[in-house]
Amino acid sequence: MEVRLNAHAAAVFHRVSKVYDGSWTRRRVVALDDVSLEIPWGEVFGIVGPNRAGKTTLIKILLTICRPTDGRIMRLECPYSDRRTLAQIGYVHENLSFPRYLTAWQVVEGYGRMSGVKGNVLRQRTGELLEQVGLADRGHERIAHFSKGMTQRLALAQALVNDPKLLVLDEPSEGMDLTARRLLRDVVRQRRDQGASVVLVSHALDDVEQLCDRVAVLCNGRLSLIGSVSELAGPTPPCGTKPTPPLPDRQQQPVVAGALETAIAPLYEGAIA
Amino acid sequence: MKRHDSPRLTAVVWLVRDTFRQSIAHGIFAVLLLVSALSIATCLSLSVDGRATLRQGNQNPDFISRNEADARDAEKLKTSGVVVADGRLTLAFGAIEVPWARDTASAVHFVQLVLAGGVADTLGLLLTLIWTAGFLPSFLEGRNISVLLAKPAPRWVLLGGKYLGVLAFVLFQSIVFVAGTWLAIGARTGFWDPTYLLAIPLLLLQFSIFFAFSVLLAVWIRSTVVCVFGSIAFWCVAWSMNFGRHIMMTAGDMVSTSVRSTYLSGVIDFGYWVLPKPADLGLLLYNALGAGDHFGSALDLGVLESHGFSMLASVLTSAAFGAFALVASARMFEATDY
Repeated sequence: MEVRLNAHAAAVFHRVSKVYDGSWTRRRVVALDDVSLEIPWGEVFGIVGPNRAGKTTLIKILLTICRPTDGRIMRLECPYSDRRTLAQIGYVHENLSFPRYLTAWQVVEGYGRMSGVKGNVLRQRTGELLEQVGLADRGHERIAHFSKGMTQRLALAQALVNDPKLLVLDEPSEGMDLTARRLLRDVVRQRRDQGASVVLVSHALDDVEQLCDRVAVLCNGRLSLIGSVSELAGPTPPCGTKPTPPLPDRQQQPVVAGALETAIAPLYEGAIA
Repeated sequence: MKRHDSPRLTAVVWLVRDTFRQSIAHGIFAVLLLVSALSIATCLSLSVDGRATLRQGNQNPDFISRNEADARDAEKLKTSGVVVADGRLTLAFGAIEVPWARDTASAVHFVQLVLAGGVADTLGLLLTLIWTAGFLPSFLEGRNISVLLAKPAPRWVLLGGKYLGVLAFVLFQSIVFVAGTWLAIGARTGFWDPTYLLAIPLLLLQFSIFFAFSVLLAVWIRSTVVCVFGSIAFWCVAWSMNFGRHIMMTAGDMVSTSVRSTYLSGVIDFGYWVLPKPADLGLLLYNALGAGDHFGSALDLGVLESHGFSMLASVLTSAAFGAFALVASARMFEATDY
C-alpha cells in the first residue's frame, strides 16, 4: 500500500535501507535497516550513535551523495529526485577538504555559485560569512596553509552561503577550538530562530544536549531511540522508536550535563564496533 | 535571495575556471607557457633565405644541393636547367646557421612541421596527457567531491564540466603555441600559410579522445598513478593496433596468408576498429600540413586508401570511442556511492 509521507517537513525518511554489496575484497554491509524518521521545520535534530551506526550514511542519502537501497525520502517537501532542493541545503562534514589551490574567498564564492547564488548578493554574503567565521583577513590566502580548525570554519561559511533552509552538519566541531565551537553553536541557534532546520550528527553529546530539540539514536543501522533530549535523558527514556512530536514552544526541560550520555551509553556498549 | 536560472551552466563555467586555477597551482600552466614562449622566441630569432624558388605552382623542378660538385659548374647547370637549392636558415638572430637544400618557403614549412608534429603533437600531447591525468582523480576524491555532489548540478555535469575544463586548458595552450609560433614565423619570414593553424583543432581532437579514456580510469580506479600510466599504456596499445593493422593491410605481399588469417589478425582488426587510432590521427595532421614534401612516412595515405582505408571512418570511430568512454564514465560516476 502506498504510504503518504508528511509533505510539511524539512526531511522525511520512510523505511530507508542501505546495503553495501560485498565483493571479493570486502564483506556485505547493512548500513541502514528500515529507518523511518521525520525532521520538522525549525527543529535542530541530532543524530547520535556509535561508530558505523549509519549516521553519516543517512545524511549522505538525504544529500544524494549515496543512494538508498530501499525506502522513500522527501527533501524540503519535494520528491527526492528533485535536485533543485539541494540549492537550499548547506552541508559540512568532518573530513571535508577543499581544493588546496583555492583561496577561502574562492571556496565560499564558488560553492555559493554552485548553489545558484550570484552577483552582488554572493559577493556581499561571502564577505559577511568570512567575517563571521573569523577568516576575513585571510580570505585571499590559499587554503593549503589553513589548519584543520580553520578549514572547518571555512566549511561552515560555505554551508551558509546559500542561506540554507536545511543545514546538515556531520561532526562539524571536529578540530575546532573553543571559539569556533561557540561560533558553531551560535550559528545553529540562529538558523533555528530563522525557521530553518538543522541536522547535527555528532559524537560531542554536550553539543547535542545543548542544541538539539530532538535526537535519534542509531545503532547497527537501526533506529534505536528517538525523542527530545529531556525525554531521552530523563529517568524513563522512551522505549522503541515511535517518533515523539516536536516540542510546541521549544521550552525544553533543563537537562543535567552528561545525562544524555549516561542514558544512551548502554546502546553504545551493545553496538558492533 | 536571487537564484541562478541555469545551475548546469554555472557549474560548467565554474569547473572550467577551477581547472585553470588547478593548472596554475600545479605549475603545468606555467611550464606549457614557457615551452610556448621558448618556441615563439626561437621563431622570432629565425630567418630564412634562399635565392632559388624550388616550387613552381604545384610542381617541384629538378634541383640539386649546393654541396654537390655539379652545383659549382655554372655551364653544366645552365645547359641542364637543374636548379641549385641554396636555402639557409639562421637562428638566434643569425648566430646559428643551418644550411638547407631548400628554398625559403620550403624551409619555413619545414620549421612549422617540426613545431606542430614534433613539439606539439608528440611531446606536447604526451606531456599534457601525463600532467592532466591527475586532475580528475584529485577532483573525484571523496573528501573533495562530497559537497559538490550535494549541489543541484547532476553528477554528469560535474564530470563533463571538469572534462571540458581540461579541454579548454589544452585548447588555450594549443592556441598560444600554434598561433604564437605562426605569427612569429610570419613576422620574420613573410610566409603566412594558414594551413599550419589546422594543427589546433587536430591536436585538440587527439587529446580529447585519449583524455576521455583517462576520465574513465579516474572514475573507475580514482588513482593518479593508474591514470598516468594507464593512459600512456593505452595510447601505446592503440597505436600498436593501428600501426600493425595498416602494416598488415599494405604489406600483404610480404606477409604470408597463413599469418594474415590467424587469430592475431582478427584481434588486430577488432582492436583497430574498437580503439582510437593515434597513428591515423597523426597521419591526418601530417597530411593536413603537407608534410609529405619533407618527410617519408611508414604510412602513406594514398597507399592506404588504395587498400580501402577511409580517414573519415577512422576519425569517426576514434571519436566514437571517446564518446563511449565519456558516457561510460558518467554512468559509473552516477552509480558510485561516496
